Amino acid sequence: MSIIRAKELVHEYIRRDEEGNVEAIQVALDHVNLNVEPGQFISILGHNGSGKSTFAKHINALLTPSEGTLYVDGMNVSDDEYTFAVRQTAGMVFQNPDNQIIASVVDEDVAFGPENIGVPTEQIITRVEKALKMVGMYKYKSHSPNKLSGGQKQRVAIAGVMAMEPKCIILDEPTAMLDPDGRADVLQAVHTLNKEKGITVILITHYMEEVVDSDYVFVMEKGKVFMEGKPREIFKDVDLLKQHSLDVPQVTLLAHELRKAGVNLPECVLTRKELLEALKENYGHLIRTQLGGKLDFPESHKKQNNPADNVMILDHVSYKYSPGTSYEVTALDDVSLNIKEGEFIGIIGHTGSGKSTLVQHLNGLIKSTEGSIYYRGQDIYDKDYDIRDLRTQVGMVFQYPEHQLFETTVFKDVQFGPKNQGLDEKEQIKRAYEALGLVGLPEEFYLASPFELSGGQKRRAAIAGVIAMKPAVLILDEPTAGLDPKGRDDILGLISDMHEKRGDTVILVSHSMEDVANYVDRIIVMDGGKPVYDGTPKEVFAHYKELEKIGLAAPQVTYVMNDLKAAGFDVKTDATTVEEAKEEILCCVK
Amino acid sequence: MLREITLGQYYPADSVLHSLDPRVKLFSTLVFIITLFAANNVVLFAIVLVTLFGIIRMSHVPFSFMVKGLKSIVMLLIIAGLFNLFLTPGRTLVSFWIFSISDVGLKNAVLMTSRMIILIIGTSILTLTTTPNQLTDGLEKSLGFLKKVGVPVHEISMMMSIALRFIPILIEETDKIMKAQMARGADFETGGLIKKAKNMVPLLVPLFVSAFRRANDLSYAMEARCYNGGEGRTKMKPLKYSSLDQRAYICIAAYTIGFFVVKGIL
Repeated sequence: MSIIRAKELVHEYIRRDEEGNVEAIQVALDHVNLNVEPGQFISILGHNGSGKSTFAKHINALLTPSEGTLYVDGMNVSDDEYTFAVRQTAGMVFQNPDNQIIASVVDEDVAFGPENIGVPTEQIITRVEKALKMVGMYKYKSHSPNKLSGGQKQRVAIAGVMAMEPKCIILDEPTAMLDPDGRADVLQAVHTLNKEKGITVILITHYMEEVVDSDYVFVMEKGKVFMEGKPREIFKDVDLLKQHSLDVPQVTLLAHELRKAGVNLPECVLTRKELLEALKENYGHLIRTQLGGKLDFPESHKKQNNPADNVMILDHVSYKYSPGTSYEVTALDDVSLNIKEGEFIGIIGHTGSGKSTLVQHLNGLIKSTEGSIYYRGQDIYDKDYDIRDLRTQVGMVFQYPEHQLFETTVFKDVQFGPKNQGLDEKEQIKRAYEALGLVGLPEEFYLASPFELSGGQKRRAAIAGVIAMKPAVLILDEPTAGLDPKGRDDILGLISDMHEKRGDTVILVSHSMEDVANYVDRIIVMDGGKPVYDGTPKEVFAHYKELEKIGLAAPQVTYVMNDLKAAGFDVKTDATTVEEAKEEILCCVK
Repeated sequence: MLREITLGQYYPADSVLHSLDPRVKLFSTLVFIITLFAANNVVLFAIVLVTLFGIIRMSHVPFSFMVKGLKSIVMLLIIAGLFNLFLTPGRTLVSFWIFSISDVGLKNAVLMTSRMIILIIGTSILTLTTTPNQLTDGLEKSLGFLKKVGVPVHEISMMMSIALRFIPILIEETDKIMKAQMARGADFETGGLIKKAKNMVPLLVPLFVSAFRRANDLSYAMEARCYNGGEGRTKMKPLKYSSLDQRAYICIAAYTIGFFVVKGIL
């Protein structure tokens, strides 16, 4: 018997005006039919607004169908009698790790569910212990959740569900707000539950790499299931997925591109190993065994260092949190850097590597404990230096910038920066227009409330708010966090366009190597408060093995090229984008 | 800057005080406050002070950590002290210009500020050694009798513990939004009171929006985990008195009786 069975499921969000008349109906789920067998690992894909979260809330009886039926382990979710039984059978983990932890101590939070359903005290204790051990968080049981990383919090949330002993667990974009390390830990925990405990898993995500190992995939769009099948069947149709603004793993994309260019490869390649094996089988005659162990590190093309080109200079900058106390933490450790006019720089590093602290120094939001910073030759810590002026010169877009929107209209919000610069009304309006035009927000939204926009649009409006100040240097801290693949590509495209058109100096802080490699000219890798690598993407990713040691990874294609080289193919290993890798492999096999 | 508030925080350590039942600690704090304000001479004050130091030693919380909590209210203490010092009538000890210090004023100022300091340190031991959850559990149990007259004790204590959980998150969020607006040239420091209040709008609106969003998310998360009010709930760590708690009650009784006997004699 299916554990989840949806039949012609419809859900409509109805918006009413003050008198209770129906103002608008939005169909979130449109006749969804879907079956899940016990023990399966299911993934649901879809971009933001495709109805996947609405569907997840139905499985947990948080929402009830407008039409059609949904059975969870034989119970109809529309029946009030079963509400609590349904929630016990199918537990749910949400996206934001902070907003689902109720208690101030880890074990008390895990106990929250069992307490609610009236489990006797002794049993709660054993259940909590078991659940925490399953996700590898037992040693944190008496910690405060505020002290944990995002990935650890998500694992606590999973334990909280497991303590209710459900048959099925639904995870609604559990990794969207995490860094790569946290993502890997959460996924591993979920896979363990599925394999060892036989728990049915329903994973909602837009990270394609996470889907590869699942048993079955549903792709949703506009409230409908428009594709379903095994991952291999789904990823076969790269062009169709692209049309629906969905991604495929980089390896799959590379193989697809190669196949289109006439390389003899199977229809769908999901992993690096598969690609390597296929190439070996079909093009084995090209393998040269006598190749020595010579590694080709790309040559460094250091340009003549002309001091006048430098827009910012950091000279032995150090920063310590709470200096002189037992809580002292060194966030930046003797950093010296030159940033040249017009550069496009990517700063990468795992959480806590000091990358955010570093960029906050650049516009004077944090003052270093040691060292000096020069902006266009002037010491920004000089007594006479106007730090507020610096902030308009060095614009900073924070993580989740949409959280800073506050005005009644989008236009007024964008005007806020220019207004603070002391510009006259006419100039303010001009600047706001320009900025909104640059971020490509349609004009009909200019006078709307910023809170009515969709996630991606809000982010554009917030970025416009910073661009409107016409900064010479633009810093963006994780500008794509939490966006779906389409939103991510749009924002990154926009930033790189701006860099090209206006020649601004742009600094992009990120932990996604694929994003960075595609756009920037220079990468600075931070670890332990220090820049450990600094160079072009090719130079930096040549150290992919060392990067792994500090919790980072090179783009997938870099690994593919290194795999090929190690197998004896005569390729250069310095490709960092799918395009480059494709050219290189084509050169080799043709 | 906002992250350095220590008042009302829990300090994890392994001590007798940490393992006491929260109800005992709530009751003893009450007794402590009563005796503190009943102490009107040096001997009684010394008894309170010695007891406090004994308790501080037992708590295994560094004394410096407690003093840090006082930092945030130093201004309040100074103002209260000064008012007492200069504005209490009595026999004049020193006078200069329009100020005069009386004997009663000096006594009151010293007594008042030391009482405040002791009060704050004494009550902060309660919060330092008791997790917010235990504290609300203790209050829920101690005030359980109010349920009979229709006070929603469980709901209130649930609200309190959620508030305590989200205070650090919202403080961090305030810090972040403040920085983001400062990066757009906002000014939170200069200007008169009205201008300052107006300048807070770009901080407060996003903060409220975020708080509501979090509340909405949290309500879903609680419902998803079968929360349905206080009916039929069990506890992982139910409050149960141990022999340690009984001994603590005996100590509190001995202290109270001793204190009032001394007070009667003097």
